[in-house]
Amino acid sequence: MSGEAFLFTVFAAMTCFSAIAVVVSQTVVRMAFWLVISLGSTAALFFLANADFVGAAQLLIYVGGTLVLLVFGVMLTASGPYMKIGTSTGETVVAGLIGLLFLFVVFASVSGVNWRQPVTASADNVATGAVGNTLRPLGLSFLGARPESGVLPGEDAAGTGYLLPFEIVSVHLLVVLVGASYLARAKRRAVPVNQVV
Amino acid sequence: MVGETLRNLLMIAWLLPLVGFAVEIFGGFWGSRKSRTAAWLAVGCIASGFLCSASALVIWGNANHWSVLNKQSHHSAGEHGEHDAHGEQGKGGHAAEPAPKAEHGSVSAQGPYVLTAAVEEHAAESHPAGPTVYSGTLYYLARIGSLDISLDYYIDSLTLVMFTMVTFIATCIHLFAMGYMSEELTEEYVDHNAHLSNGHHVHRPGRFYRFFAFLSLFCFSMLGLVLAGNIFQVFIFWELVGICSFLLIGFYTERKSASNAANKAFIMNRVGDFGFLIGLMVVWTFFGTFRFGETVDEKGTVVQAGLFQLIQRDETGNVVRDAESGEVIIGAHDAALTPGNSRKTIPYALLVVAGLGVFAGCVGKSAQFPLQTWLPDAMEGPTPVSALVHSATMVAAGVYLVGRFYPMFVQEVLLTIAYVGCITLFMAATIAVVATDIKKVLAYSTISQLGYMMLGLGVFGWGAGLFHLVTHAFFKSLMFLCSGSVIYGCHHEQEMPKMGGLWRKMPITAFTMLIGVIAISGLAIPGLVSWSTIFAFSGFFSKDAVVATSLAFVKANPSHFLLFLMPLLTAGITAFYMFRLWFYTFAGQPRDHHVYDHCHESPLIMTIPLMVLSVLAAFCAIGGEQGKLYLMLTGDQPAHVAHGVAAAAGGITLPGHDAIHAVHNQAGTLALIAAVSGTLIAWVLYGTNMVNVAEMKRQLAGLHGFLANKWHFDELYDGLFMQPAHIVGKFCSWIDRTVFDGIIHGSAKVVLFVSKWDRLFDENLVDGFVNLLGTSTFAVGRSLRVVQTGRLRQYVMFIVVGVVALFAILFTTFPG
Amino acid sequence: MAADLNAYLLVGAVLFVCGVVCMATKRNGIGVLMGVELVLNGANVNFVAFSRYTDLGLDGQVFSLFVIVLAAAEAAVALAIALNFYNNHLTIDVDRANKLKG
Repeated sequence: MSGEAFLFTVFAAMTCFSAIAVVVSQTVVRMAFWLVISLGSTAALFFLANADFVGAAQLLIYVGGTLVLLVFGVMLTASGPYMKIGTSTGETVVAGLIGLLFLFVVFASVSGVNWRQPVTASADNVATGAVGNTLRPLGLSFLGARPESGVLPGEDAAGTGYLLPFEIVSVHLLVVLVGASYLARAKRRAVPVNQVV
Repeated sequence: MVGETLRNLLMIAWLLPLVGFAVEIFGGFWGSRKSRTAAWLAVGCIASGFLCSASALVIWGNANHWSVLNKQSHHSAGEHGEHDAHGEQGKGGHAAEPAPKAEHGSVSAQGPYVLTAAVEEHAAESHPAGPTVYSGTLYYLARIGSLDISLDYYIDSLTLVMFTMVTFIATCIHLFAMGYMSEELTEEYVDHNAHLSNGHHVHRPGRFYRFFAFLSLFCFSMLGLVLAGNIFQVFIFWELVGICSFLLIGFYTERKSASNAANKAFIMNRVGDFGFLIGLMVVWTFFGTFRFGETVDEKGTVVQAGLFQLIQRDETGNVVRDAESGEVIIGAHDAALTPGNSRKTIPYALLVVAGLGVFAGCVGKSAQFPLQTWLPDAMEGPTPVSALVHSATMVAAGVYLVGRFYPMFVQEVLLTIAYVGCITLFMAATIAVVATDIKKVLAYSTISQLGYMMLGLGVFGWGAGLFHLVTHAFFKSLMFLCSGSVIYGCHHEQEMPKMGGLWRKMPITAFTMLIGVIAISGLAIPGLVSWSTIFAFSGFFSKDAVVATSLAFVKANPSHFLLFLMPLLTAGITAFYMFRLWFYTFAGQPRDHHVYDHCHESPLIMTIPLMVLSVLAAFCAIGGEQGKLYLMLTGDQPAHVAHGVAAAAGGITLPGHDAIHAVHNQAGTLALIAAVSGTLIAWVLYGTNMVNVAEMKRQLAGLHGFLANKWHFDELYDGLFMQPAHIVGKFCSWIDRTVFDGIIHGSAKVVLFVSKWDRLFDENLVDGFVNLLGTSTFAVGRSLRVVQTGRLRQYVMFIVVGVVALFAILFTTFPG
Repeated sequence: MAADLNAYLLVGAVLFVCGVVCMATKRNGIGVLMGVELVLNGANVNFVAFSRYTDLGLDGQVFSLFVIVLAAAEAAVALAIALNFYNNHLTIDVDRANKLKG
């Protein structure tokens, strides 16, 4: 068992375990905790898969940003510490059974499909996702250039970059920022505060 | 320039009443019912019109140095050969004596008439022979093919005199009407002659403004008729005048008799207008133009000759006819006949038809036999209407048109006109003798006098007929206004047997009426001023002219002796019934003390027009045929009138001026004798108590009944036209009810049957299908509603289950 | 357990199913959001795995980056909605949001 396989097994287990823990946890704060673990482990998996930049982004944006946001949300909406909103047992059982069924179906399909031959890391395809060190190629592709293009058979020489989607995503983020702040702004209540139960 | 000035002046006089009408009818509708503004506006419009007309007359006279007046003085002085130095000779010669005719020769005398006449300056400056006529086009209405429909003007002395006369009389009558119609100045007018079904009187808002608006519209129409420069335009205004008459006769529209009378007048006129239209068609077909005068383009060149130039007459006064075919030649007959340039001709018979057709219109409008019955009924309108519309102007329009269209009439047409006039004048006069309604007497007298005019025109007395038209307009409007004054004073009592002795109560009315009666009777005092002149009121001179013309005519054509005897006899009858009216109304003892006690003289606004009109009725024709009025009127008379028409083979001779002049004294004497005897009889019967009139009436019951029933014309028409129409109508209604209704009912039943089945099909099949669709959709929605729980988590579950199900299907379908 | 494509895909599947079950069972709105994050992460794992083990190349990574960004945006907006919901209902229980019940 190589080191890589060992690490993969550890982090995969962590990921799966903490994801299940998120489902099982009854309080939001614990859910958030287990989610952090799960997302962090996923980032580690990304590093293992040679996707260094994606892993970094995962850590920064998800673990550092989104999760904090969620925690803020928890704090802003919780009427008390360790608030629980229970789910009926029947529902939980049904959801669990269906989830297991779904998992089975997905497992079955994943193992049933004959995926393309895996690509091995080599000096020829230095710029592909198979070898890591993806920061520069990714940045270039966002600017519209694809230095690795033409490497693969049947690929166009140019014009397959991601400049336009990148710009769209940027604008999208801006719009979301504005929209979110608009939605979440403090509103004047229709009834005076002292009358609210 | 003179032409333009005249045109503008007359146009103002013509259009002002139209403006007045528009303002009055709308302003009055929204204004107060008690306001006299409408009346003052109407008076202002028509009075300004009179001023314009009068000044136009003066301008016209100055422009030709009053040559019409001067030339005739030559005639009276017997200086036949002497003519004005500046080229008046042609005209003077034509109007005066046959002597110059020889000088000019036929072609040169007729030629200028054919070729020049019409237009503006070049007519006035060169003083050609023939009438001075200003004609042109005001406005193009439409062009249909080669037919121009336009508003033209045609101004000659007749137009000007008519304009002045109409506007003047209309002004007087407008003023009078302000007093007469003052009862309408109220918010609630009680019409005592109109009853509702429950026996109450009709209450309605006053219609003062409407009356004057209609009067204004009438003036506009009448003046347009006089000014008209083509026969189609005449027709347009002819109908407008008709509609005004309809509106005014039916002014008291709540009275059944009034609305009936309005309908009657309108329908009778339509009968005549049918003939008019036929005449128009003939004229258009053969002459290709409706214009009286020439059509001139911008450069002043003549594009097309007018109607009056297209018909030519040779030196005998007969129309020029083609030697071979006998058809009447249209256009210049002496033009060289080249191959390919054939003459336009019209069959003589069709020319007669055209003339008769136009005359038929005149018969209707002027209430001549056999269409005379509408006029007495038209007395249902207010009295000022009777005075203006049904005695002085509108009915005179028929006479005017005959005079205007005179160049187109040939002998046969003229003879018809003469006989129609002759029958009319006698018949109407006899009916007037027994009429007891004061307005009816005047109405029949009007018909009779219109008959005189027609007769005068028919026997080739162009001037005489129109002369009588003008004088009659004055004295008849005067008498109608007097009768209006009487009716007003007696609180709408019109029956003469209830009056009597009224001169004590209303001296002004009685006196002015007496002047009118003398004028129409034709009384005269010979030798009062000097031996050569006769002192008389206007009616004498004009009637004298008519009678003299007919005498000359009869002398030339002895077989038509009735044409002289009847008017002579009728002159006596006229004097009789007019004095009967006066004696009945004003003289003697009061017969109905209720009426007498309550009657009173009318206010000044009504009596002043009476006095003004009486002066004119008395003196307007002073001088007779050497008087200014006659000379003005005949200044532009058709060229062939002056020297008569020699008889063609087997034809009729029409007398010229010299022939008429020769018998003038004789005719005048006879007419005067007739008039005086008529007056005396009237005085004996009604002025004194020597004869018991009632006894006479009983003894002559048959004759009296015949006359009182208006010669049974209404019954005759009832039998001739109404009953057949009723029978045809009944037959049609029977066919309608049995045949057409049967068909319609049958088809209705079929449709009903079909629609029943259609309904079944619709309700069961179509509706069933649609309903099924609707209910099934509803049911599906109903059942799906359960799924929409609104719970977020369930939806997620559904998604998962759906995905799983999809995969399950996929795996089972494509195993491996 | 070898680190090959199938292993990654299985991890992604577990994450995905956990997310779905989380969404289906949590009545807390924030919990539902966490489920969504898990689902997105599962998808991300798949993308990266395909990028690594097939000739997809960088495209997979780029997609996963977009997904991360979109997830962040989604989280922001969803949180705003959740706050609004909380403001209006004084609770974060999504079962109370059943106004659209048929």
